[in-house]
Amino acid sequence: MNPVALPSLLPLLVALVPLLGALLLALLGNRRLWLAPLALGSSALTFGLVVVLVAAVRLGFQPEIALMQLAPPMRIVLSADALGALFALTIAALFPLALIYALKFLADDKHLKRFLALTLVAQGLMLGVAFAANLLTLLAFYELFSLISYPLIVHERTPKALAAGLKYIVYIIVGGVFILTGIILVYAVAGDLTFLPGGLLAGDGARAPVLIAWICLMVGFGVKAALMPLHGWVADAHPAAPAPFSAILSGVMVAAGSFGILRVLFEIFGAELLGRLGVMPWLATIAGISAVLAGALAIGEDEFKRRLAYSTISQMAYVVLAIAMLSELALVGALVHISHHAFIKAGLFFCAGLIVAVTGLKKVSEFDGLARRMPATALLLTLLSLAMIGVPPLSGFLSKWLLGVGLIEAGGLVPLAVLVVGTLLAAAYLWPVIFRIWLPNDKVKRARSALAGQPTLMLAALAATALITVVLGLAATLPGFPLELARLAAAQLIGAGG
Amino acid sequence: MVIELFDLRPLIAPLLSALCAFGIMLLGSHAGWRIALSLVASVVKFFIVVSMLPGALDGHVYVFSAGEILPGLDFAFRVDALGLFFGLVSSTLWVLTTIYAIAYMRGSHSLRRFFGFFALCVSTTQAIAFAENLLTLFIFYELLTICTYPLVIHSGTLEARRAGRRYLIYTLSGGAAILAGMVLVYQATGSLSFSSPGLLNPGIDERVLLAMFVLLIGGFGVKAALMPLHAWLPTAMVAPTPVSALLHAVAVVKAGSFGLMRVIYNIFGVDLLDTLGYHHVLAVIAALTIIAASLVALRQDVLKRRLAWSTISQLSYIVLAACLLTPLAALAAVIHIANQAFAKITLFFVAGAIEKTTGKKRISELDGIGWAMPWTMAAFTVASLSFMGVPLLAGFITKWYLSLGALAAGAPIYVGVMMASAILNASYWLPILYRAWFKPGASPDAPVKEAENLLLWPTLGCAAYVILLGIGAQAPAMPFALAQSAVAFAFGLEVASP
Repeated sequence: MNPVALPSLLPLLVALVPLLGALLLALLGNRRLWLAPLALGSSALTFGLVVVLVAAVRLGFQPEIALMQLAPPMRIVLSADALGALFALTIAALFPLALIYALKFLADDKHLKRFLALTLVAQGLMLGVAFAANLLTLLAFYELFSLISYPLIVHERTPKALAAGLKYIVYIIVGGVFILTGIILVYAVAGDLTFLPGGLLAGDGARAPVLIAWICLMVGFGVKAALMPLHGWVADAHPAAPAPFSAILSGVMVAAGSFGILRVLFEIFGAELLGRLGVMPWLATIAGISAVLAGALAIGEDEFKRRLAYSTISQMAYVVLAIAMLSELALVGALVHISHHAFIKAGLFFCAGLIVAVTGLKKVSEFDGLARRMPATALLLTLLSLAMIGVPPLSGFLSKWLLGVGLIEAGGLVPLAVLVVGTLLAAAYLWPVIFRIWLPNDKVKRARSALAGQPTLMLAALAATALITVVLGLAATLPGFPLELARLAAAQLIGAGG
Repeated sequence: MVIELFDLRPLIAPLLSALCAFGIMLLGSHAGWRIALSLVASVVKFFIVVSMLPGALDGHVYVFSAGEILPGLDFAFRVDALGLFFGLVSSTLWVLTTIYAIAYMRGSHSLRRFFGFFALCVSTTQAIAFAENLLTLFIFYELLTICTYPLVIHSGTLEARRAGRRYLIYTLSGGAAILAGMVLVYQATGSLSFSSPGLLNPGIDERVLLAMFVLLIGGFGVKAALMPLHAWLPTAMVAPTPVSALLHAVAVVKAGSFGLMRVIYNIFGVDLLDTLGYHHVLAVIAALTIIAASLVALRQDVLKRRLAWSTISQLSYIVLAACLLTPLAALAAVIHIANQAFAKITLFFVAGAIEKTTGKKRISELDGIGWAMPWTMAAFTVASLSFMGVPLLAGFITKWYLSLGALAAGAPIYVGVMMASAILNASYWLPILYRAWFKPGASPDAPVKEAENLLLWPTLGCAAYVILLGIGAQAPAMPFALAQSAVAFAFGLEVASP
């Protein structure tokens, strides 16, 4: 079933509301009283609009709006298909949580306003990425949100943060140049950049430019998607950024790279052309190696946030691995994993931030007996870690199950083995954390109650991610949830291409 | 279909500035008169030039002939699409620069001389834009050299006089080369008119053609700062900032680029040049200039010098684009006249505003200046991101069409040059932004001390134009369609109505 294009302002509104929120924040935010209502109000409104949009997508519509011509004849076009709606839903749900968390986490920071406003801008731009209907629109929003993330990563202005920021910006700019080169090649070959289910270049046989375009685009988006060996910025940027933004980085920003890869592979090249090019095994190999290697590296990292960053690299590599299978089932798994992983990982970063805020501890080796001091956090951390490892009935299990089914159907045992090894590695790098925090340690003073000493707002955001993790695990098949949207998207992306 | 209309406006536009100059010379010792005359003349001229835009878009060409100088050689003006495009850019910028100069030059000596010659320069630039033939263009081109000299040496210091002498030596030698080339062309064809897409015919002796090409391109190449003819430009930056801004980023250097385009598109013509193949050599020189000038710019600490080297690099974009001889690249060449002008003048305005407000000239002194002069530095940020080619800003449009044009011309190497240049641009603009926004200044909590309004508003106006040119390519009053019709004329294409 092909969706019906529906001229609608909705996609534009969804992207604009956070941007306007940021503008209002910049204008009115000198009074601290205004900060919370403005930031949360605009991101809550965005979420509401996205819910409406998802409803429209479920009914078989594709809300679409064409804006100005950028480089004639190419236009900026925003269009919400199932894939875009799924990514937008993840973004729209995660950002408010991160904002709530930031309100407390950075409460003593005099640049709180700046952080909130830039985060909202990043949200608006990322929603633009989700709704981009052609490669030029995608590029525009993608580049802008990559740049706007820089001040968020270096928010604390410490030498460490600035060094990480430098690394980030160099990677991003070089990656951006690759993406642009790839896009120019695509345009030169096809004369168009519109995302077409089944592939814009589907009927094309010109091998060399198409192949170079593929390589450029994969390298460019691979930087964001943290594909090894392009992952260098990830492990530095995550610990450097404030915890709420680390959550966003891992949750949706790295995913934006995978999202770009998805769009390009299925809607520019198309499964059939990719099959002829014979390049997907290479991508699968790289992704597989990334998954395992990053998992192994995570074990060796003592700093909790760095460990989580490597975990993100590993988890996102599954997504690319599954995408590279070019099969519908594997694609469903990949899409579901993107959004399930987003909440789990964001929750884990919230935990890391809470631990630092309450105790100042950053290293896993210092976490002994933490559960005595921060019982609630410890409980949620355990829950989220189990979800990350893939223990049923949490959301991580479900997405890994789907991934596994897809991988074995499309690629046989080797990709499945990667997933299994990756999962074992996840257990190996998260279990010590769980183990240590519950370790009896008499030196740590026992908290008076489960919630004592832990800032409520931060805990609430953390609890929300945990709740989502549980709900997504228990009731994934509910209408409008990621699984349904992922199935719809996969059917559109692969079904149409035959 | 070109319709020629006899009209006085092509004469009035340059004449108005000349009259303004005359008025200032007479009455200008009184500040009020000086300001009133400059402002009124610039605004009125702007509207006169704009009034020709709708007609030009309908395919009308406005001509005015004052009579024959030599047999077959009129002293005549002819406003075609290319000329009007350049005319629009320079008259728009004259308004903004006049406002800026009034504030910037307040309290300086010999203001009557300054504003008088300033207006004269604009008058001659306008005449260059509207010149019907190479002789008319040449007359005003030489006049421009002479009128600029008093502005370059305005401060009267030894350094300024040295720079002025160097400027004269370079540009007058260039003028002599043009004169020689012009004589050859006239001797071969009996005409110098720009009214056809290609005046020369293939029947001429190839050695003569080569001589013409070398002389004309070499001559105009001096002002277009093509390496190795660029050495006057960085030293000429001793001039007061408004002069550097308008004359050295826009009028003088663009007169050179504009002359080059006239030679390529109207004297030689695309077809002839394509058979001769001289453009390949010129393209290589331009590409080398782009890269080499950027490399030098990297090492400059004085802000204005970095801007000057960046100008040399950016100007060669126009030359390179014009040399590729494909419609898409030609579009980039025409549009870049505006894109580079607005972005570069913004940067010069900012450099001047910083110098005027804080006395700082070096990049290494700019730590934390973003928070002291937020609006000024915001304008700087926009313009420098535009040079890096960030989407939604003017520079991206150039890069886009130039790269596509290079691919169409079968020269993908120049896509590589574009990308290398983008990275180089990033590496010399981003450190400035980093210092301004992310490095704490000497006194971190210094109060906001913006440049005065008359300096600030023109800067913001230019920055707004950079954004407008980047996103409003198809907006009715913006000259994109004009550029398209200029290209269509040069390549003998039907104007494609998008």
